[in-house]
Amino acid sequence: MHLLRAIRARREAAGSGGAGGHVQADGAGAVVAAPVPGTDGRGGARGTRGHGHVIAGTLAVGVFIGLWQLSGLFLDPIFVSTPARVAKALATLIVSGPLPGAFLRSLLEMIGGFLIATVAGVGVGLLMGRMRLAEKALDPLVAFGNATPSIALLPVMEVWFGFGTAARVAFIMVICTWPILVNTYAGVRAARSLLTDVGKAFGMSGLKQTWSIYLPATVPYIFVGARIALAVGAVGMILGGQEIGQSGLGGLTENFGSYSQTADLVATIVTTTALAMLLFFGLRVLQRRAFPWIAATSAGERA
Amino acid sequence: MKAENLSEADGRPGGQPPLLDIREICKAFRGQDRTVIALDRVTLPVRRGEFISLVGASGCGKTTLLRIIDGLETADSGEVRLDGKLLTGVSQDMAYVFQEINLLPWRNVLGNVALGLEVRGVPKRERRARALKALEMVGLAPVAKAPPYTLSGGMQQRVGVARALAVQPKVFLMDEPFGQLDNFTREALQVEIAGLWERLGATIVFVTHDVDEAIFLSDRIALFHASPGRLTEIVDVNLPRPRTGYDVRAHPRAIELRSHITDHLRGARTNGDPVSGGSRRVPAAARTPEEAQ
Repeated sequence: MHLLRAIRARREAAGSGGAGGHVQADGAGAVVAAPVPGTDGRGGARGTRGHGHVIAGTLAVGVFIGLWQLSGLFLDPIFVSTPARVAKALATLIVSGPLPGAFLRSLLEMIGGFLIATVAGVGVGLLMGRMRLAEKALDPLVAFGNATPSIALLPVMEVWFGFGTAARVAFIMVICTWPILVNTYAGVRAARSLLTDVGKAFGMSGLKQTWSIYLPATVPYIFVGARIALAVGAVGMILGGQEIGQSGLGGLTENFGSYSQTADLVATIVTTTALAMLLFFGLRVLQRRAFPWIAATSAGERA
Repeated sequence: MKAENLSEADGRPGGQPPLLDIREICKAFRGQDRTVIALDRVTLPVRRGEFISLVGASGCGKTTLLRIIDGLETADSGEVRLDGKLLTGVSQDMAYVFQEINLLPWRNVLGNVALGLEVRGVPKRERRARALKALEMVGLAPVAKAPPYTLSGGMQQRVGVARALAVQPKVFLMDEPFGQLDNFTREALQVEIAGLWERLGATIVFVTHDVDEAIFLSDRIALFHASPGRLTEIVDVNLPRPRTGYDVRAHPRAIELRSHITDHLRGARTNGDPVSGGSRRVPAAARTPEEAQ
């Protein structure tokens, strides 16, 4: 029953993705594919289809785990381990191992980098969207930065910030900033003239328009950018943990991998996935609670 | 046919100067390979307390004129004066009601109505009270706290009207405010607007392409023609008030007006040149470089 509810919630959240036509990277999207906007059935149809999804999804996961367990009979546990062994390793790592500490450390670093990136990305995106001079001045820099594979910057972070928390947070931040910035900028440019006319017609100053019209109108885009940022930022979180001073969940995967402790490794990877899903879930809850109009108005536009 | 022609409308009838004086407005939109003259020397004095409609087919520049009056768009030449004062930029003394329903979805109904007051620096308490009063005037006080997207189209457009009422402007500019509503809702809102206009003694400039709507609501109707967009005639409605939809439609004067207006608008569309005699000189600002040489 709980699974059913969770999946329903995910479907609703996915459906509320806001301003359509965006790339919506969804790191946690493996369980249920996001519905194609507009194809979502209404009334009774939705109920039955949702049910079918749950059954099919549960069945597929069950078959997968079953096959995986069976593979343990033929394959060396070093290669793939088995679900049973992974579960056991997970329990041990949680109860008496480094997993909770690593989880917390990675989570905090991720949130820190993500939040700084959000402030920076939204700030610069708004500035570029609203000020012609800023747009012209920053456009080449943003294009350059956005095109640079962020992973190449990892050693730079080490050089600048050393081999500790600061470098890992900075690395996550650099990765997360671009999608948020680019989407915010696009959002400001796409702000419907319907709404921006209101600010003008009532005599708002430029600054007031930015704050009271453009920023809120851009929020759906900021959420799209934030979702992408979380997906790519999670990669940065693990990579930073592996490369910069072996810390957090990334450090654990590196460690378990190099000693071929496959069950522990897989248990850590599963934990990483859980962390990413937690972040996505948090973002969705935030959007639904704080910005209910996004889902309401984008559904209206589709109808 | 008691219709003023342009030269009469141009001159100020003895005594009261117009509240809103629109003079010689020209506006051209330049595309890549052609220039569209949206407005060619439009002059329109709007009297204090009158309900005047701008009527014409789409593309005749009536919405552009309304946007220029409000300062949302700038004219290439010409001027707009309010109470004798030359307007530059958006005026705080006018309020615009848009054709599209464009309430801010992140604010509740009351917050949307209070928007203009916020910009004008009205303190929070008074803002609330005035916004609520404006909502009462359109009968929507009970939904003050609701998000706008939960209201019907007619209710949303009423909120748009309340948003304009709240700032107590000297002039209301309404751009086909009922264009997107169904017939029944539109008629109800027409009656409501007429009532508000009478109670408040407001001055309203109203854009529409619906001739019956214009006849029902207006004191005067300004007729516009397209390419180039221009004002060709100002018609006095001369129907008794208060009006109701039925007697207006059946009134001999209304029938006469309707046929005159439709003939006038249609005539111009087929032969291209309407009543207004004057020279068809293209305003300097709208001339393409080739022509200018």
